[in-house]
Amino acid sequence: MSEIILEVKNLKKYFDSPKGKLHAVDDVSFAIEKGKTLGVVGESGCGKSTTGRVILRLLEATDGEIFYKGVNIRKLSAAKMRELRREMQIIFQDPFSSLDPRNTVSEIIEEPIILNKLIKNKKQRFERVLELMDLVGLSRRLINTYPHELDGGRRQRIGIARALALNTEFIVCDEPVSALDVSIQAQILNLLKNLQHKLGLTYIFITHDLSVVNHFSDDVAVMYLGKMVEKAPAEELFSHPVHPYTQALLSAIPRPTLDKHEKIILKGEITSPIEPEPICRFANRCRYAEDICRREEPQLETVEGEHEVACHRWRELEG
Amino acid sequence: MKDHILEIKDLHIQFNTDEGVVQALNGIDITLERGKTLGLVGETGAGKTTTALSVLRLVPQPPGEVVSGSIILDGIPIMEQSEYEMEKIRGKTVSMIFQDPMTALNPVIKVGEQIAEAISIHQKLSKEKSLAKAREVLELVGIPGNRMQEYPHQFSGGMKQRVIIAIALSCSPKLLIADEPTTALDVTIQAQVLELMKELKQKFHMAMVMISHDLGVVAEVCDDVAIMYAGRIVEQGSLEDIFLRTKHPYTEGLFNSIPNIDDRKAELIPIRGLMSDPYNLPSGCPFFDRCDYAMDTCRTEKPVKHSFSETHFTECHLYTAQPEFSLKSKKTKE
Amino acid sequence: MSTPPTTTYENHSLNTKKKSQWLEVWKRLKKSRTAVIGLILILMFLMLALFAPFIADYEKDALGMNVKERLQSPNLTHWFGTDEFGRDIFARIVYGTRISLFVGIISVSIALSLGGTLGAIAGYYGGRIDNAIMRVLDVLLAIPTILLAITIVAALGASILNLMIAVGISNIPGFARVVRASVLSVKDQEYIESARAIGARDHTIILKHVLPNSMAPIVVFATLKVASAIMATSSLSFIGLGIQPPTPEWGNMLAGGRAYIRDHMYIVLSPGLAIVLTVLSLNLIGDGLRDALDPKLK
Repeated sequence: MSEIILEVKNLKKYFDSPKGKLHAVDDVSFAIEKGKTLGVVGESGCGKSTTGRVILRLLEATDGEIFYKGVNIRKLSAAKMRELRREMQIIFQDPFSSLDPRNTVSEIIEEPIILNKLIKNKKQRFERVLELMDLVGLSRRLINTYPHELDGGRRQRIGIARALALNTEFIVCDEPVSALDVSIQAQILNLLKNLQHKLGLTYIFITHDLSVVNHFSDDVAVMYLGKMVEKAPAEELFSHPVHPYTQALLSAIPRPTLDKHEKIILKGEITSPIEPEPICRFANRCRYAEDICRREEPQLETVEGEHEVACHRWRELEG
Repeated sequence: MKDHILEIKDLHIQFNTDEGVVQALNGIDITLERGKTLGLVGETGAGKTTTALSVLRLVPQPPGEVVSGSIILDGIPIMEQSEYEMEKIRGKTVSMIFQDPMTALNPVIKVGEQIAEAISIHQKLSKEKSLAKAREVLELVGIPGNRMQEYPHQFSGGMKQRVIIAIALSCSPKLLIADEPTTALDVTIQAQVLELMKELKQKFHMAMVMISHDLGVVAEVCDDVAIMYAGRIVEQGSLEDIFLRTKHPYTEGLFNSIPNIDDRKAELIPIRGLMSDPYNLPSGCPFFDRCDYAMDTCRTEKPVKHSFSETHFTECHLYTAQPEFSLKSKKTKE
Repeated sequence: MSTPPTTTYENHSLNTKKKSQWLEVWKRLKKSRTAVIGLILILMFLMLALFAPFIADYEKDALGMNVKERLQSPNLTHWFGTDEFGRDIFARIVYGTRISLFVGIISVSIALSLGGTLGAIAGYYGGRIDNAIMRVLDVLLAIPTILLAITIVAALGASILNLMIAVGISNIPGFARVVRASVLSVKDQEYIESARAIGARDHTIILKHVLPNSMAPIVVFATLKVASAIMATSSLSFIGLGIQPPTPEWGNMLAGGRAYIRDHMYIVLSPGLAIVLTVLSLNLIGDGLRDALDPKLK
């Protein structure tokens, strides 16, 4: 049994808005083992990206605890947190805006090394940059090019190289392939997978694209309006989705085959994340909603083994 | 002879920029029957949007330049129309919806008025009548009529896209061109909007060109599919032709690089390399350096069109010598 | 096909030369005819300012009064004629260029560094700091620039230094605003977040990432402000609160020649034209820069 590298307990992140508190992340808990990938899926506004950033303390959580290798990182000073950043990194979604347009490839990749004073010798540092470029499949001759001269796939590789520049062990991948063309997506996903095996990395893979997450994760957590509505090992989630939202999500994905499958079309619109009522947040769109759903908030319950779901009626619907 | 709503013949469009000439479209042929839906599939830079814009003659000239070719829409030769005549065609005979619903609506004008504007441009109706018609169209796309008085920012992404569809359909066009209409939307909203588009297509007996990079979306909505690469259509056929009898290596590559939701063990096989430099297209087949089946002829000679049936053709050297050649496809067939 | 040599530390600069992004801008600027005209003009004035001592002698020509030679129309000895004191107008224009350009550039530098710093801090940190800084500057902004400059000069006395301070201070709020807006547009970009993620501290982020990327609007603004600073200098000198005669300055030359405008128009024509041309050329360059720096046109 691998060690747990990251554990999140009752994580909350609320933002202030003119109409009240916006519950971006509302009481989310999970744990990830070293070397594994947790996929976090959901549509826009579900809080997945915010969760990723809060874990790295790029945003400060409103409440809850985050344990990295057993240490409660919310209690760390700014200086200690900066040290920890050498191990915890992030890959951004948009390869166009996540790289400083005024820096060359080598400057972008070596910046973390310089800032953290990891390698002082210029030549050695340069060698390290070349090493990283080789690792992510970037041609060495691109060393002095600017991001805008390169395509999305290459830019994303730069972002990955930069994230690996320090002694990274844990990476939050925030929609790393959503902005890329289909054939390039596959290249980058394969790269990420290879790097994980080679370097023993642990990932949180945030995405709205369920087909990608199936391919890429060990466990999957489904989020809706800030809440985690279902969590299970990937294979289990895809073959046996329990939560009505997960079911709708899975059925909504357009499949590139001619087989017709039943589509669950959700009615209505997503409710507001501002001061939500303490009821099931999916109730207004759920085809199985009953009275209790509109009165009480469902808690996470175990379906079987590692499979959890937050739904009042799951037993009935399964039975 | 079938009555085609759209006939594009040998269209060549290039862009003259400071950095060189971009060969955007290199001989596009498209015929679309009335009431049918054609999926135009390809990645960034393939030329899909340029093709769409050329039908509405919205390709900016300069830097764009129509080098040769013709477009006949509903019997009208588009290239020969004056700008004034084109304005009468746009929105009425052919309508277009764009990818990003967030910026396609004017934020300071009420939604109802924006729809009414589209109506009053083409139909000489009084203000009240236009607004009344606008309300009808809005309800047609599933939005309660009283939301006409609201501003775009009060609508969610999916609803904004519906409004845009309403505007596009307000004058009952014969052809609707949808450029990646659901790419920017959440998956469950995408399902809603696609469902809506299918209904409306039936109701209006409207022809549609659906531009998408997503083969799943195409499978849902389209009758025929054209795969574009570097400004050419490399394979075209009915939905079955493309999905079950894939012929072009690029098409096969596209299928192989999509994660299959129903088969998580399947390995992702990306297409290696990148799309060719549009400033400098190679003399032979543009897919040459990324193709697993490449032969010597592919490097130097442009592939010729090879038909497999009345509907299905491809441009690939593999079939000139061996018409019966079969790709070693790894996707599961029906 | 030969394999290219592997990149190493020693030979890496041989690879794709690090193209300066400013070179790109320069190339685009050259395309605008009006900008090029502006550049030529301002270059001409710069030359006049730099090589003034080689063109005319300060004591003899610019200051030297010679009643016998007074009020001469432009001729071969005195290209722009002479003024009411017999001084060579051309020489005075040339030395006036020095003052105008000097005050213009220095005052804008003062405004840029002080106003820019305030604006960057306000923009980056936001919230109460932003509020505090901007509201104070708003008060300053509410006072008409010229009036403010007049007040400062009146309080401190009319000298070239005080002129620079006055014009500089009155431009601080404007620069603060432009820099703040620029910083705001950049600070939410993901590469800023990326810098934070690798452990960069705030000051590093501002200096290394935020400011370099927000330069474009600031450069355009600064160029246009030099033009207005020159105008302000001349205006203040015209009303007697700037450079005092006999030191040649275009503004005070206009003031001095006012009485003779009917019969000896050339006395005011040259300084007037000088002001117009410098201001015009800077505006043309500023406009050209704005287009050249526009990322949408890339």
